[in-house]
Amino acid sequence: MSDKAGRDRKKARSAVVLFAIAGGMVGLSFASVPLYRAFCQATGYGGTPRTENVTAPTTITDRRVTVQFDANVNPELPWRFKPVQRSVDVRLGEETLIHYTATNLSDRPLTGTATFNVSPDAAAQYFSKIQCFCFTEQTLAPGQEVSMPVLFYVDPAIAADADARDISTITLSYTFYRTNGDDKNNANSAGVAARSARGGNG
Amino acid sequence: MAYATTAGHGEHDDHHPTGWRRWIYSTNHKDIGTMYIILSLVAALIGGVMSWMIRLELAEPGIQFFDNTQFYNVLVTAHGFLMVFFVVMPAMIGGFGNWFVPLMIGAPDMAFPRMNNISFWLTAAGLTLLVSSAFVGEGPGTGWTVYPPLSSIAYHPGAAVDFGILALHLAGAGSILGAINLIVTVFNMRAPGMTLHRMPLFVWAILVTAFLLLLALPVLAGALTMLLTDRNFGTSFYAVSGGGDPLLWQHLFWFFGHPEVYIIILPAFGIISQIISTFSKKPVFGYLGMAYAMCAIGFVGFIVWAHHMYTSGIGTNARAYFTVATMIIAVPTGIKIFSWLATMWGGSIDFKAPMMFALGFLWLFVIGGVTGVVLANAGIDFVMHDTYYVVAHFHYVMAIAAIFAMFGAYYYWIGKMSGRQYSERLAQIQFWIFFIGVNVLFFPQHFLGLGGMPRRIPDYPDAFAGWNMVSSVGAAITMVGTLMFYYIIWHTFRYGKTAEANPWGEGATTLEWTVPSPAPFHTHEELPVIGAGDHGHGPLHGGVQPAE
Repeated sequence: MSDKAGRDRKKARSAVVLFAIAGGMVGLSFASVPLYRAFCQATGYGGTPRTENVTAPTTITDRRVTVQFDANVNPELPWRFKPVQRSVDVRLGEETLIHYTATNLSDRPLTGTATFNVSPDAAAQYFSKIQCFCFTEQTLAPGQEVSMPVLFYVDPAIAADADARDISTITLSYTFYRTNGDDKNNANSAGVAARSARGGNG
Repeated sequence: MAYATTAGHGEHDDHHPTGWRRWIYSTNHKDIGTMYIILSLVAALIGGVMSWMIRLELAEPGIQFFDNTQFYNVLVTAHGFLMVFFVVMPAMIGGFGNWFVPLMIGAPDMAFPRMNNISFWLTAAGLTLLVSSAFVGEGPGTGWTVYPPLSSIAYHPGAAVDFGILALHLAGAGSILGAINLIVTVFNMRAPGMTLHRMPLFVWAILVTAFLLLLALPVLAGALTMLLTDRNFGTSFYAVSGGGDPLLWQHLFWFFGHPEVYIIILPAFGIISQIISTFSKKPVFGYLGMAYAMCAIGFVGFIVWAHHMYTSGIGTNARAYFTVATMIIAVPTGIKIFSWLATMWGGSIDFKAPMMFALGFLWLFVIGGVTGVVLANAGIDFVMHDTYYVVAHFHYVMAIAAIFAMFGAYYYWIGKMSGRQYSERLAQIQFWIFFIGVNVLFFPQHFLGLGGMPRRIPDYPDAFAGWNMVSSVGAAITMVGTLMFYYIIWHTFRYGKTAEANPWGEGATTLEWTVPSPAPFHTHEELPVIGAGDHGHGPLHGGVQPAE
């Protein structure tokens, strides 16, 4: 019977290892959420522009690119949302301040959150936003109009990237969504805090 | 090389539970395998009826039957889920895997008989939940890929998608437990002398499949859980409005979904190897190459997932990588095809029904494989994506090919499982009806796809009418072939001749043919010993001789 006990121990050991592998894969699938986000931010994958640890540019070159601005609003949010200027010509490395305006067309206060994206994808990692309203909850009173600034520059390193150096037009796109739970009082909380709270979900 | 006896399995008593307890409480690998096969036969009929309804609608342009087009979407979704999770997987892995892995490696049962029981009942509960999801609210009309935002609460507000998610959770948990059981069995319970490199290729196939299940299904479980919380608890893993990304779902789903394709087809590879070797009366050509080709396919299967996502906005470099990686799969797959051909080469081939289905498998799998190489090209895929060309491709390469392997396996092993042999003449007729049916059904869909007909839509322009009618006629022929199979099962049990222990003669050399037919409730209680010169897989290597 000791033979059988030894076999049972071996079987149990194998099973424990295999259960651990299965559990580890579940863990990995959840870990992929922050990993995927970090990967997108590090590489600009999927048109994710750089927003974290962005410092002022050090060099400015003479090469120019056109930056276009696009604005969308989810139909559930009755806002008017437009860029003040359709596009700007900027030099690489030049800090530029542009504005969007948002107007609440309804008769009650509404909270929205914007997501953003840069196209083409290859340019995203060179599009650095020093200051923006990305992921910040914005509450607008009925009829209120606000100006939303974006301070950005295009990294001169784009001229050295074989995949991105031919790009002459970059589009920055924002989409405003209605935030669930409009009646919350914590509107206008810092975007960074909102983001890290979401990161905690993963 | 007669049996030597190894002591140590006296723990099995001769207690035979009877009545409903035998089945509900079963811990016997043969009974559980039988229940899996019955489950898959039931699910196949449901999934089959759904596909015939789909082809009936598509026979002519315009909307004939589905004024409620969401119901059409529900049928397409349920057909996919049923066939993948509740027909092919239960039959191949739970059914034939349970039945024949212990028999082939000389083990008395699975490593964890009670876990085997819960695996089956989890799968059965999943099937119940999935079928009932179609009757909840508007039904899950998401397609089997369940992409958000279509599957999000905004577009599927009812509980149907949640039912579907929980159905997959249950079936997935059952499959993970089953996979662990199979791996532990193969690693720890082989008879003395049955080394890994002497295992029959069917056991190798199930072993590799079990590892794929173990690594892929937890990822699906995680992704589904995130979808569930997105839908019900306000998280935003996939919801753009909260900073999530629907592409993340596609990455996670296909990280599971592509290995899933191999989970379906690898056991078929194993079955086909056994059948071709048996009826060519030769050992499989290039045994080790065949075994490691399956390992290679399993490994590469995990690093090609984004070829399902070429048009979803992934970068040029990513598309280039996934194109190359995908094409590499053709190498180990080619090794298998040519090894099967080399196995038949010079053999004294016996064209019994299992062999016919194996040959049919080769035909279907090669056609589907060739269109797969076409679709692997990211540039071409931009044109073909979500057209009927893709539908034709995957039905050839995994759906119908897997069904042919299953039919082959039924005819090959039914004598061993039931003790009665099928009618060869009926089986041959069924083969030809089914073979002609599926080719008439799916081959024209290549033309429809090249013409640009999109999948998952119940209507189409008049220009596509001709080949759609041909395809639907093919579906009708396939239906006859399918129903005839159910008749043959009844006929076998009613009129089948008593099967011998080994009805296939010298070509059948694996251990399951050394036990009587039907296989007794307990087998290999005295462990067979496989000698140094033996292989469990071919007569030229000595094979295993029956006990005196």
